[in-house]
Amino acid sequence: MAITGGPEGVSGSGGAPPDTGTGEATAAAKSGRLGPPSWLALVFLLPALLFLGAYMLYPILFSIYRSLWDAAGTQFIGFSNYTEMFTNASTFVALRNNVIWVVVAPIVVTIAGLIFAVLTERVRWSTAFKIIVFMPMAISFLASGVIFRLVYEQDPESGLANAVITTVQDTVSPSAAFPDARPRPEAPLAEAGGGYELADEAATDEAVLVPLVGVQSDELPEEAEPAAAAEPGGGDTLTGTVWVDFTRGGGGEEGAIDASESGLPGMEVQAVSGGQVVGTALTGPDGTFELTGLEEGTYTVRLAADNFTEPYNGLTWLGPTLITPSIIGAYLWVWAGFAMVLIAAGLAAIPREALEAARVDGATEWQVFRRVTVPLLSPVLMVVFVTLMIYVLKIFDLVFIIAPGSVQRDANVLALEMWRVSFGGGNDQGLGSALAVFLLALVVPAMVFQIRRFRRENA
Amino acid sequence: MPEHTWRARGTVAVAAVGALLAATACSPGSGPGGGGGDGDLSGVELKVAAKWTGVEQENFEEVLAAFEQETGASVAYESTGEDTGAYLGPKLEANEPPDVAILPQPGLVQEYADQDALVPLEGDAAAALEENYTDYWKELGSVDGEAYGILLKAAHKSIIWYRPDAFDEAGVEEPETWDDLTGETAATLSDAGITPFSMCGASGWTLTDWFENVYLSEAGPEKYDQLVAHEIPWTDDSVVQSLEVLAEVWGEEDLMAGGNDGAVQTDFPTCVTDVYGQDDAAMVFEADFVAASAEEAGATVGEDALAFPFPAVGEAQPVVVGGDIAVGMTENEGVQELLAFLASPEAQTTWAGLGGYLSANSGVSADAYADEFTQQLAQTILDAGDDVRYDLSDQVPSQFGATEGKGMWSILQDFLRDPADPEATAEDLEAAASES
Amino acid sequence: MSTREDTAAVDPAAAPDPGQGAPQSSLASRIVSRLGSGLLQAVLVLIAVFWLMPTLGLFISSLRSPQDNSASGWWAVLTEPSQLTLENYASLLDNEGFVASFFNTVLITVPSTVLIVVIAALAAYAFAWLEFPGRDWLFLGVVGLLVVPLQVALVPIAQIYGGLGIYGSILGVVLFHVGYGLPFAIFLLRNFFAAIPRDLLEAARMDGGREFTIFRRVILPLGGPAIASLAIFQFLWVWNDLLVALVFADAQNQPMTKALQSEMRQFGANIDVISSGAFLSMVVPLLVFFAFQRYFVQGVMAGAVK
Repeated sequence: MAITGGPEGVSGSGGAPPDTGTGEATAAAKSGRLGPPSWLALVFLLPALLFLGAYMLYPILFSIYRSLWDAAGTQFIGFSNYTEMFTNASTFVALRNNVIWVVVAPIVVTIAGLIFAVLTERVRWSTAFKIIVFMPMAISFLASGVIFRLVYEQDPESGLANAVITTVQDTVSPSAAFPDARPRPEAPLAEAGGGYELADEAATDEAVLVPLVGVQSDELPEEAEPAAAAEPGGGDTLTGTVWVDFTRGGGGEEGAIDASESGLPGMEVQAVSGGQVVGTALTGPDGTFELTGLEEGTYTVRLAADNFTEPYNGLTWLGPTLITPSIIGAYLWVWAGFAMVLIAAGLAAIPREALEAARVDGATEWQVFRRVTVPLLSPVLMVVFVTLMIYVLKIFDLVFIIAPGSVQRDANVLALEMWRVSFGGGNDQGLGSALAVFLLALVVPAMVFQIRRFRRENA
Repeated sequence: MPEHTWRARGTVAVAAVGALLAATACSPGSGPGGGGGDGDLSGVELKVAAKWTGVEQENFEEVLAAFEQETGASVAYESTGEDTGAYLGPKLEANEPPDVAILPQPGLVQEYADQDALVPLEGDAAAALEENYTDYWKELGSVDGEAYGILLKAAHKSIIWYRPDAFDEAGVEEPETWDDLTGETAATLSDAGITPFSMCGASGWTLTDWFENVYLSEAGPEKYDQLVAHEIPWTDDSVVQSLEVLAEVWGEEDLMAGGNDGAVQTDFPTCVTDVYGQDDAAMVFEADFVAASAEEAGATVGEDALAFPFPAVGEAQPVVVGGDIAVGMTENEGVQELLAFLASPEAQTTWAGLGGYLSANSGVSADAYADEFTQQLAQTILDAGDDVRYDLSDQVPSQFGATEGKGMWSILQDFLRDPADPEATAEDLEAAASES
Repeated sequence: MSTREDTAAVDPAAAPDPGQGAPQSSLASRIVSRLGSGLLQAVLVLIAVFWLMPTLGLFISSLRSPQDNSASGWWAVLTEPSQLTLENYASLLDNEGFVASFFNTVLITVPSTVLIVVIAALAAYAFAWLEFPGRDWLFLGVVGLLVVPLQVALVPIAQIYGGLGIYGSILGVVLFHVGYGLPFAIFLLRNFFAAIPRDLLEAARMDGGREFTIFRRVILPLGGPAIASLAIFQFLWVWNDLLVALVFADAQNQPMTKALQSEMRQFGANIDVISSGAFLSMVVPLLVFFAFQRYFVQGVMAGAVK
């Protein structure tokens, strides 16, 4: 198989010299009689072996041992740390999130990488595109985390993500001028379908008062004038005033128009009869309105719900429900380039004859992709996928940096919990070691995968 | 209540619990607590770790310099960063703790004492504690009757800061009771279109401070102590009641800048900037140290940044105090001498003169603090007498009371996000408290 | 049969290339003909913009005053370019703590990169070209160690360091990085060395060259590209590390990542320091990335399944 060699070659070779295949090395080993004595090998290996022993082998053994002791390390407690790990609420959340991460993130990233690799295959400026998408790999997770913390800010005024969705939303349905305006509880107004209406019906030729509060002086548009009582209209007209019933600095009579109180311009007032809107008017700068052309009689005066449409504030990306998907989004941003480049290399290695043969047989493009490209690519996809899984299992920085304090608990993952428990204030190296051992156990399948792949390719 | 408007002059004003103790417990001629002495420590090198940075660090180093001069020892200061537990954990694991650490919570004193990581106060240091501190403060630094720590620096946590121009515009006054605060002050501000509160929900400790003030005022000091000791469960009616009281503010989206979501995502001191820089809200609740952030945001404390005492929910206005506790972590030469020095009125008087400091030492007289603001703060503490309490969340195990993403912090953040079910929240608190 | 294709796939230098040689009838070409090249280009441009935007946001935020940043989004500079200021950077460079953390990062990164390359090259040579008992098993062990999560070593090494008195020091951080970087480094270099034609070595040995001389004169020069990949990969890896520094570096010895992390608790209030600091911490990696992009891509690809 041409392709099975692909990923191994990718991960194995540094590049320039002609790839003579790994078999060569084995051959050299067998004919090594010419070579130097084996004690010399030890000299070459010694520094590395010392490091590997001290930083990998000993820690693995010690962690297993330490995980059987209590927080202070003075009392042997058997497997209690492991029981604790699976019963403790906070570790449980970490465990659950890790499962979500491992299931979702590698798939999403691999698919994105596949799409990008396919799309760029025939584009002239694909190098530039690949550099752009690959660039996040070069910067720290800390910096990426800071970058996305900014993107995910709640306030659409400062968070890019919400700025984009609120802009879209606002074009579809714009928000009102005074969304927070509302009547006092004791005012003669009742809530009606998102807006408000006067509790008592009003007759034509009457002038009504519609007092609202909750509007700050600097929210008022420039054209606003001091509120005025409306003149009663003729027989087919209902008039009134919508105004801010609040006197700056206190005082003033509730429900009455006081000297310094301002009209609310641009409010949509409706006359409602038998559930039907029969007349509509907008308030003027002094808050007065005239509902004209009505039949004589009584009507309900209503401020339409549109007057109070709250501005759409976007999604709470950093809230407890969306935090993990949000961080996975940032993870995609960082890792998509990695998947893309590996997969692109794999694509370039697919023998054209195989594709041609399928096409000659009358397969559609989709069939070629599904039946030929993907199977031939599957070893590469597998390598990408497994690599991502290993990194995802150990995910730490991004979660630590992006999740604000209030949702750290909801965003928790095993590696973070391990740090938190043993160093970040928890001070329980016993439990911490148990978590570390558990993490190690989780990567053992990957270790086996790795060793078997290596042996197969060097057989 | 103009007499409650604490006006401070230009500089960052901070408070003085000391004044209280100076008046109630000052023993005549309480001299140096045995300041260490006669230059007999030359050549001794000590390491002190605390969370302070910037000006706070400089002032503390000045105090340390006095010790160096007096004894000939040299003292190196190291900042622990925000999370003292995270700093000390690995140091202890590596068996390299600082000689003296300033712990932000008595809860940590208990934890480290249990791990045998602390050295009890002895000799001069023990005597200085005995001489200069009242029983309540002594017990705070003790575990099982053994004295380990000295309350070195205090913070007054029962005040609400506000923007006077917003109050003027709405025509409201400083409230004295909780009902005035919610029914009158906040409601009128809201009618005027001004958002009453800016919340600092992303910093969990500010929420525990809210709860403590309401609880202390409503349930009283006795129950407060019982809750600290976990002698009554968190599912107790009094807890549920206090949560319900909190929900009168936390449950009203219109009363908080940015609504509930905004409230829980705003950190300290951004919430202060929202009041004094952005004019987004009229009030922000936190301790005396808000002054520094308010000044940074461009306000002048005493003119356009004022504060009133946390209003009474029950019979009396609560007085909650927080603070940092100095402990010895090694048996090296000079450690006890340094602790004795830090506990002495001299050292703390020097510090009080530098500003940004509040002492709990009975030997520090009120005039050590230059400004009126601190003296008035101290007066509220005086009035509260034996009912002053130390920050609850800092007395319970830190896993429950003072850890990001855990225990009280995160449960109260959840409650701020959605305060619909105080009983469920009380149960969560009880579960978390039992676990730690 | 497949050596040629392998080489094509393998040569990462080809990876960022547009793949010019590919025949007309690939899947992508059909898509192109169906959707029209214009649409495809537009989609790719959109994705590229999408990928650049977050970084651009950080950069512009770092050039605005804290007041502007809390009042409006960074895109406000499009209408008000006068908001741009270097003040955040000026005050950051005035801040001794931050400047010290920059040098700490260098002091940690450079020695650990050099050590890893030297130690791994020696070991890789032994694995590739020296005969000794148990060699294959030992190397399989190295392959296995590739995936060991470094969390396993935090607690044990903290204790050892405490005993040795190097806890919190730069030395401790450097050694930890060397320990954890070695399996990958050996793996990468050994595979590369093994691919060097045997004749070259045999010839050198016939000439009576001593092993160290062969290593120095033959292997190292030939291994240049692989060593460059490894060095750049490790350099960026260590430069960008947070976790190891968080545990093993104390306040005087902390690198930039840890210094910035300690500001995160008050993200909203410290955005001026955080944005400019984060951007400064990215400058060196980005320069390295653009200068040695090809080697870095090789290194990362070789890191697959680490």
